[in-house]
Amino acid sequence: MDDLAIVELYHRRSERAIAESDKKYGPLCRSIALRLLGVREDAEECVNDTWHAAWNKMPPDRPRALGAFLGRITRNLSISRWRRDHAQKRYEGMEVLLSELEDCVPAPDSVEEAVGRAQLSAAISAWLDGLTEEDRRLFLRRYWYGDGVKELAEAAGMGANALAQRLLRLRRGLRAFLETEGVF
Amino acid sequence: MDREDIFDGVTDVRDDLIQGAKEAPAKKKRWAKRRWMGAVAAVLAVAVLGGVLLRPGGGMTALAIAQAEYPEMAPYPDEGKFWPPGGDRDEEGFHAAYDAWREDVVAQRRDLGDVTPLQEFFAKSSWTFLTGKPGENRVYSPLNVYMALSMTAQLTDGESRGQILELLGSETMDALRQQANDLWNANYRDDGALTSVLASSLWLNEDVKFNQNTMDTLAKDFYASSYRGEMGSKALNDALQNWLNEQTGGLLKEQAGNIELDSETIMALATTVYFKAKWRSEFNEERTEKAVFHGPAGDVETDFMHQSDEQNYYWGGKFAAVSQGFEEGGAMWFLLPDEGVSPEELLSDGEAMDFLFTADKEEWEEQKFLIVNKAVPKFDVSSQFDLGEGLRELGVTDVFDPEKSDFSPMTAGGAGGIVLSRADHAARVVIDEEGCTAAAFTVMAYAGAAKPPDEEVDFVLDRPFLFCITGISGLPLFVGVVNSPAGN
Repeated sequence: MDDLAIVELYHRRSERAIAESDKKYGPLCRSIALRLLGVREDAEECVNDTWHAAWNKMPPDRPRALGAFLGRITRNLSISRWRRDHAQKRYEGMEVLLSELEDCVPAPDSVEEAVGRAQLSAAISAWLDGLTEEDRRLFLRRYWYGDGVKELAEAAGMGANALAQRLLRLRRGLRAFLETEGVF
Repeated sequence: MDREDIFDGVTDVRDDLIQGAKEAPAKKKRWAKRRWMGAVAAVLAVAVLGGVLLRPGGGMTALAIAQAEYPEMAPYPDEGKFWPPGGDRDEEGFHAAYDAWREDVVAQRRDLGDVTPLQEFFAKSSWTFLTGKPGENRVYSPLNVYMALSMTAQLTDGESRGQILELLGSETMDALRQQANDLWNANYRDDGALTSVLASSLWLNEDVKFNQNTMDTLAKDFYASSYRGEMGSKALNDALQNWLNEQTGGLLKEQAGNIELDSETIMALATTVYFKAKWRSEFNEERTEKAVFHGPAGDVETDFMHQSDEQNYYWGGKFAAVSQGFEEGGAMWFLLPDEGVSPEELLSDGEAMDFLFTADKEEWEEQKFLIVNKAVPKFDVSSQFDLGEGLRELGVTDVFDPEKSDFSPMTAGGAGGIVLSRADHAARVVIDEEGCTAAAFTVMAYAGAAKPPDEEVDFVLDRPFLFCITGISGLPLFVGVVNSPAGN
């Protein structure tokens, strides 16, 4: 079923919307949650919560890219779960990802005013626009979809070390960009 | 701002960026659209055994007496089939096909163990076969000659076999057979996306009483098919040439046309390698420009492909080197001799040869990760020569000597006087940028706003250089000297 039809089902309050979402985007959301949390039960709960959240958002939302919309919800729910439980539970995928993303944090500058989430996303999008297609894909596969370095390296036909080095340069590149743009 | 903010920021990047990364596992997509290969290379070697026969032949054309069976490989999934334009994507179907393909690819992997003796053979033989013709292009396939020699060892006994075992660094025939089988499998890929096949065949004179067991061993362990027929007949020559053309994708048609067996031939052993692969990141056609190549015969203007990318840059006492990877693994290595150093000199330089034939370049000390601005001439180089003299220099002499040769395992009695009378080796390597899809995929690393690395280097192949194509096993399929990019 195409995305527009699924969105329409949400708007008509048809419960089939959830079944169709699960059918089409269940694997994507499950894979994101599982990679971030690493605990199957929690990931499954996270996916179920995703459909629930989608049900509450549509209407009024009418996303054009349903996959990105749902995947984003899963990411948000995953990090919320991590924020809530990480003192007790070890969500390894998230820990690793966050420690890598530490490299992207710009040096603090008290003069500048902190930017909001929307501005930061816009800046990261602009930075991604300037990358080569391959780098953009590698960055997003790793930090949005949560792909493992090893599987990503295999798919890209390069060694895991070379990929790790490349990702490191990309993260530093993002930090430099944010600093240049005055996004702190 | 902290790392969680960055996570949130990444979460909310624009939809099209997220979709773009989802939809285009770039390499998978590209296979479906590809129209040209980045590099294509082929070699054929035909070793001819001659001798004296009691009676002329009786009109039989080529008849198969032992057939090699290649491993079956699931095809690389055709994305167009699973993701028809405008239709629903069959992701499950695609993943099932992808997994089946992946499983077959993994099944071909072999643990090659200690390859040091092999590397010694590669270095020694490359020097032997690539030098001595200064100023000419020369292409040699170490793995191809390795396979031909391994099979010759299987067909011989006594000192004839002993000399080959010594050259190839194997202690026993069993060890060599196992190694050849592993190498064959580790280099085998024929899945519609990548073609890499070490093919062999034997062509026997119908008047020779051959040993079926030996032919069966060659089919099973070396994947070589055997045929017999009337030597010197047009039918048999045509069959051989067709086989050669088929195995080498027609790339060596001219050279295959020169291969004719006369009625004195007792057996011909033909081995080929055909390798066709696409650059992992193509050269942008729009950046290809005419420039001068300083060849030994004077300056010539030729097309240079350009690419800037972050990669490892290697150097030694007399050379600098970079690689250009292929989509499915393997790479082409370019070795540029320092100013004033010839490729011939580099072939005699232990350090350069160590570098060229070491599978694990990560261990090389003199390397740096930086931006490399490559300028690589498009080239089409080929060469054809007789391996005989070089093999004798390398210590394989008895098979050429009617007094000493021992081809007893090949025949069912009466093997006296059989000698290796000719060993043709023809190879051609062609490289090009990718055609129409190039612009979209060319890597201009950090063309955007990101900070570039601290250093960059120009790597301009505008004078004679060496190249080496390593296949999926990491071992050298082709080594060559380019003195004239457009051919001799």
